[in-house]
Amino acid sequence: MHVDLDAFYSSIEQRDHPEWRGKPVIVGGDPDARGVVATASYEARRFGVHSAMPTRTAMRLCPQGILVHPRFSVYGEVSGRLRALFLELTPLIEPISLDEAFLDVSALLPSPLEAEPVARELKARIRQETELTASVGVAANKLVAKVASDREKPDGLTIVPPGGEAAFLGPLPVRRLFGIGPRSEERLRGAGIERVDQLAGAAPEWLVARFGQTGLEWQRMAQGIDDRPVTPDRELKQISRERTFPRDIGRREELQGIVEALAEELRPTLQNAPPARTLTLKLRYPDLSIATRRRTPGVVITEDTLKPGALQLFDEGWDGRPLRLMGLGISNFVLEPEGQLPLFDDGGVE
Amino acid sequence: MKITARQEQLSQALRVAGRAVAARSPLPITANVLVATEGGRLKISATNLEIAITTWIDATVAIEGGITLPARLLSEFVDTLPAEPVELSVKEGSHSANVRSSRFEATIRGMGADDFPVIPAAGEEAAATVDAKQLKDMLDQVVFAAAMDDTRPVLTGVLATFSGNQITLTATNGFRLATRAGELSSASAGDFSIIIPAKTLNELARILPDGDAPVQIAVTPNRNQVVFRTDELHVVSRLVEGTYPNYRQIIPTKFSTRVVVSTDELMKATKIASFFSRDNSNIITLEVQPGGEAGVGSVVVSGAAAELGEDRGELDAVVNGGETRISFNSRYVSDVLGVLHADQVGLELTGPNSAAVFKPIDAADYTHVVMPMHVPGGR
Repeated sequence: MHVDLDAFYSSIEQRDHPEWRGKPVIVGGDPDARGVVATASYEARRFGVHSAMPTRTAMRLCPQGILVHPRFSVYGEVSGRLRALFLELTPLIEPISLDEAFLDVSALLPSPLEAEPVARELKARIRQETELTASVGVAANKLVAKVASDREKPDGLTIVPPGGEAAFLGPLPVRRLFGIGPRSEERLRGAGIERVDQLAGAAPEWLVARFGQTGLEWQRMAQGIDDRPVTPDRELKQISRERTFPRDIGRREELQGIVEALAEELRPTLQNAPPARTLTLKLRYPDLSIATRRRTPGVVITEDTLKPGALQLFDEGWDGRPLRLMGLGISNFVLEPEGQLPLFDDGGVE
Repeated sequence: MKITARQEQLSQALRVAGRAVAARSPLPITANVLVATEGGRLKISATNLEIAITTWIDATVAIEGGITLPARLLSEFVDTLPAEPVELSVKEGSHSANVRSSRFEATIRGMGADDFPVIPAAGEEAAATVDAKQLKDMLDQVVFAAAMDDTRPVLTGVLATFSGNQITLTATNGFRLATRAGELSSASAGDFSIIIPAKTLNELARILPDGDAPVQIAVTPNRNQVVFRTDELHVVSRLVEGTYPNYRQIIPTKFSTRVVVSTDELMKATKIASFFSRDNSNIITLEVQPGGEAGVGSVVVSGAAAELGEDRGELDAVVNGGETRISFNSRYVSDVLGVLHADQVGLELTGPNSAAVFKPIDAADYTHVVMPMHVPGGR
């Protein structure tokens, strides 16, 4: 099952600011400062605004748009609540981002065909608890479930019966498949393949000759074959916050202030994410060269050590030249370990 | 003092009492045994102040008296003597004993009997009586489940609950729990519970006489010591202070899958899987498949370590309920299977992360709960 919240950031902003409901809301960085759009509400999307677009462009397309700075601590908190709801269904949750996750519900439901009441209930609970809508895709594997959740956005529910994967994917453009980006799409189009069923039906030898081994992988996807398991929190490699500056900044105090602000943005994540061992600071200079400093202090990063650790990395890593971008991330997560479960709630000890 | 005793009996008595001798103690006399005449018999006592063991043997008493002697030296000496009468004598006012057999003779220096710590509570009214054989069985099935280290002191003890004519012993280390009910040969004087150190009970199990001699259990009036008494033996122990966890809450009353399987076969499969899981936290996995029409399902026991390899052992089983899988520390499984004393074991399971219950198939008095190992991603 793939659960994807609809226009997550902007929906939260509209929820918290009723006067913005029904209006184009753009959550993103400062337009005068090379900011980009994080999420646009559906109203804004009608103007052609989409995420990752420079905020400046977005505001030109949609001048009446309400530009909001992201409040990551709020989004992180909502994400934690969503996770709690998911946990009521299954412990096998693979979060993709704050607003998106795969759930392995195979222990609960023998077949996607029986998923409808469960999925409806989940959507209702999400609406009840967070006042947000989610789109859910249910299928026998992750690939198809993800495509399905996107099918009837917003507030959608799409269930793909087992065996019907290829038929479901067939008419879609190849771009919808996970891992096929604009470049691959272009190459496929060059070979006369635009829809998934064309890819699924192509002669394997031809695909190999044309695209190498990747061609066969694409074909497997196109046929709806995907045996990747839902791996709880495994995908979580790094959580980071970045800031691209309006103008290059060379003043130490100002940069330190930004490091502190980035640490502040990461803080709520620290509570929701699994414990992380490594803190990384990324510095980008105007010549686009990137310096990263990372530190693995031997214990997990805590709220107390986050800010001082980040400042120390800055002191060690910054060469004094003005900067264009800084990013702060946590990684090297301690995943839930294998281990003996205790009999008592207060934790057994031996 | 002057007595004569049989070498075998004296040697045995010294060995029994020797279990309570302090190995290292700030009080040197606790490295000694008290040897004294009492009621026409020879009494031998030792204590490390946690536990005291006193035993009596038949002896010919010529002159009454008592002395304390270095436990280890006396025991080693008597052990090695031939099976002939041994005479032990202490001159009036002396702190040395002369110990002699037909061809060996020793002088062993000790300390006065009066300096030996007072071992309390021989006279208390018995609170309950249970027969030795049953008590030994119960100890065998329960005591090992207690905690070995004292991070949580109450768990190093065994909870003994007396109610009507029933005694229940319960032990847990926080990951597995064993509880066994037994019958008292006379109803207890009121309902009560005490926590007895597992160490004490291990010693008790070792030295209780075979057969069904009655064992009286008494608690001292200040409720900080327990006494186990037979005609020839007193074991006194301090009690563990504290509140025992509410263990009845922990024992699942419902389950989704019940498996009945041969105890020996499961033991063997567990043992084999444990070889493979030795380098993988001893994790073994049981996969339970219900049977079809015929009703014969299966349990597959597997162990694996990334570098070593893996094994699968398939057993026939009667399975009621749905298929399931669960992982355990192999030691917890082999521990319980080793004490069930039943041809078949019943396993009650409720999914991979819930407590599993092991029961002998033909007895309702023993319940053993094992918490599974969590394996991320369900492996």
